[in-house]
Amino acid sequence: MGQKSLAEQAQILLRSRLCNPTFIFTLFSDSPDSNHSKLKFIISSSVTEACNNSVLLLGPRGCGKIAVLELVLDDLLKEYHDLITVIKLNGLLHSDDNCALKEIARQLCVEHQLMFSKMASFDDNSQFMVAMLRECGLAHKTVIFVLDEFDLFAQGKQRLLYSLLDAMQSVTSQAVVVGVSCRLDADQLLEKRVRSRFSHRKLLFLPPSREDLQRLLEHILLLPTDSSLPHDYVADFNAKLLNILAGEKFKEIIETLSNSDLTFNHMLRFLFSAVCYMDLESGFMSLDNFKAALSTIQRQPKLECLKDCSILELYILVCMKRLEVKEPDTYNFNSVMKEYKSIHDSFQTSDYYARNVCLRAFEHLLQCELISVVDNRGLSQSIEFRPVRLLISCHELNQGLKSHRSCPVILQKLVDREG
Amino acid sequence: MGEEESPQITRRTTRASSSNPNLNSAAETVLHNCNSQPLTHNDLVYGDEPISFDDLICSFPGRRIQILELLQLLGPLNSPVIPLFIYGGACRGKTSTVLQIFRHLNRPFVYSSCLTCYSPRILFESILNQLLLHRKHEGNGYSSAKRCERPSEFVNLLREALGNIINSLKGNMGKSNSKKLVGQAKGQIIYLIFDNLELVRDWEKSSNILPFLFMLYDIMKMPEVGLIFISNTSPDTYYFNTGYTEPVPLYFPEYTEDDLRQILMRNQCNPKLYSSFLDVLLRPFSRITRRVDELSTAFPALFKKYCEPLSDLGIFPNEKMKRMLFSHLQPHIAPSLNEIFRVEAGHNKDKAKGKGNARKAEGVSEASDEVEFHMSTSAKYLLISAFLASRNPATLDASLFDSTGGSDNRKRKRK
Repeated sequence: MGQKSLAEQAQILLRSRLCNPTFIFTLFSDSPDSNHSKLKFIISSSVTEACNNSVLLLGPRGCGKIAVLELVLDDLLKEYHDLITVIKLNGLLHSDDNCALKEIARQLCVEHQLMFSKMASFDDNSQFMVAMLRECGLAHKTVIFVLDEFDLFAQGKQRLLYSLLDAMQSVTSQAVVVGVSCRLDADQLLEKRVRSRFSHRKLLFLPPSREDLQRLLEHILLLPTDSSLPHDYVADFNAKLLNILAGEKFKEIIETLSNSDLTFNHMLRFLFSAVCYMDLESGFMSLDNFKAALSTIQRQPKLECLKDCSILELYILVCMKRLEVKEPDTYNFNSVMKEYKSIHDSFQTSDYYARNVCLRAFEHLLQCELISVVDNRGLSQSIEFRPVRLLISCHELNQGLKSHRSCPVILQKLVDREG
Repeated sequence: MGEEESPQITRRTTRASSSNPNLNSAAETVLHNCNSQPLTHNDLVYGDEPISFDDLICSFPGRRIQILELLQLLGPLNSPVIPLFIYGGACRGKTSTVLQIFRHLNRPFVYSSCLTCYSPRILFESILNQLLLHRKHEGNGYSSAKRCERPSEFVNLLREALGNIINSLKGNMGKSNSKKLVGQAKGQIIYLIFDNLELVRDWEKSSNILPFLFMLYDIMKMPEVGLIFISNTSPDTYYFNTGYTEPVPLYFPEYTEDDLRQILMRNQCNPKLYSSFLDVLLRPFSRITRRVDELSTAFPALFKKYCEPLSDLGIFPNEKMKRMLFSHLQPHIAPSLNEIFRVEAGHNKDKAKGKGNARKAEGVSEASDEVEFHMSTSAKYLLISAFLASRNPATLDASLFDSTGGSDNRKRKRK
């Protein structure tokens, strides 16, 4: 049992590391030309020189933009404790101007221990924000606005962006606006008047290179020697792990993974699954954990769905495939039933069922999204008359039929004949 | 932070209640006494006796792999977890497996289904009510603890509520050594379960709400919360332009025939007899559908027919008897395959009004074929008109029944 609780402790440690983005990105923060140092330089210089600034952090999702920003802000808060106020907004939540100003006012109140009233109107909140910015500027405090999902703020009239960037133009205010977006053309979305007030600084965040990835794997997975776990267990664990990481098969797994998606998030998801599959009895990670994690990442949902279809549902799919070849325009459930009947007449299959049974099977297929209706007219027509189409390709259907447990031979022949 | 009163629902007074002012207060005091025990954070667990691992595996035949995988993903006590996405077709035991796993683990969770919470506001308020340990009763007018419509309010209120709950769970740890652990929630991590997620795609604000739910974990940045999504459709049917951080998927495949047999055999009084019945019937029926709910409604009537020639339902059938029973049942199999989805409503198959006249002529013996519930004439008219209205387009209704003939006649007047 002692071994098991050690393994559990190790697993909890690794899992908390994987769920904590700050831990992961501290690795890349020390080199001088990394985004971390550049960002830190931009913000700290505007704090010390009491000037306004704006910067955009761009990069695909899961490349650590917010994580690096959090690290920089933590460092700056430690250095210049009283000189910085941070306001965080998110485009998913606060894209509406009313919401955004309310949130800004709320966060300013929390920061400065003021009473916040939820009944304040839009004008009250905006006057409050302008007044606070002026006061902070006079007191030489910098307000840092973090706008997550920046492209969602750039929809509509961009009033919030304009008022923020405009307030920064006055001499008394000291503000930094940091926009974070996964769209690489986020600055093209800005209106002319907003763009002119925006300093065109952009920091690009990219997925890691192979060497960085290797360093990252070791950084995350190797247990620290100064933790509360016993020394020899840690040494064993690390030795076994380094052995696995250096092996050929592991490199192949990483290669397969990077071929589809190189971002940090993808890697972390893979590592999380691998750590979860760690065998708690032995207490060490093995290559099988990584292989199992790879198979959870590489899923083929349509194929799984096809394998779980009943035989009648497979018949309906094959009928639809044949109809798509014959009349590519549109077809509905009635035409599928005609095709079904013609197959039964020509081949005398044993699986000929009544219309209401086929309709239910048809509805099952709609539910698991192997087929879908084409029009958006809603519920005005009954399901038998609405045009439908297949959502899987011929190749996928073929694969599904081949890997199905008990597919009738006739269906395979029918599909092969067409394809 | 300003204090906000919980939203009061205005209620109309009926004549009875306004004439008897004492009636309401008496009912209130009675109810208040019944529900007067306040909820604690220990009520956030499943509630019944926790079950052992073997019971868990036995109660879900064919789901051993999924249960083990889910237990591995949830991890030991107090381990953080990234969002999980459990998917599979309908009626495969996803919700019940997840809930029973939480019963086994005895960890606190908050369950909300997007089927009963059919709008964002109801969803947010349901989650907050459970976290704030708020019970809706007559005293507070069945209102929620906090009014919450927008995702921005939800995030702030959720953070607050979670902070309180986690603090009280941490307080639990200090006391756990002295008291017995049966009634207590284990661990310091609370799990939010969102069921029936595929219905959110049809909501009006789905382009905002669905990315918000998937990004909730990143927005909250609290390692003491775990999110579990349960959906009938696979993760690739949730597609957004701007992408989202994908949760870890877990697939619940359809039951195999052996699993179906095990499930259908449960709670049968004569397992041997039912097993021979299933030998005959399961394979042809599973060519049509393998869903448990559809098979289990189709089989009882057939089982009755199967047992007709038997005088004693408790006997153990030998080969000869099995063949005899099979030949008795066989002519009924083919037509019943075509009726597989029909659900019998008592003896009556035909509820049309026209038939009633013919029946009356046939005498009193047909009285048992009457509708089992009584509908008033106006209800029948409403039913027919609702059917017609759902089939006709709105413009036809307007042109038939609207006083202006549906269109704006003023514009048509020639000058």
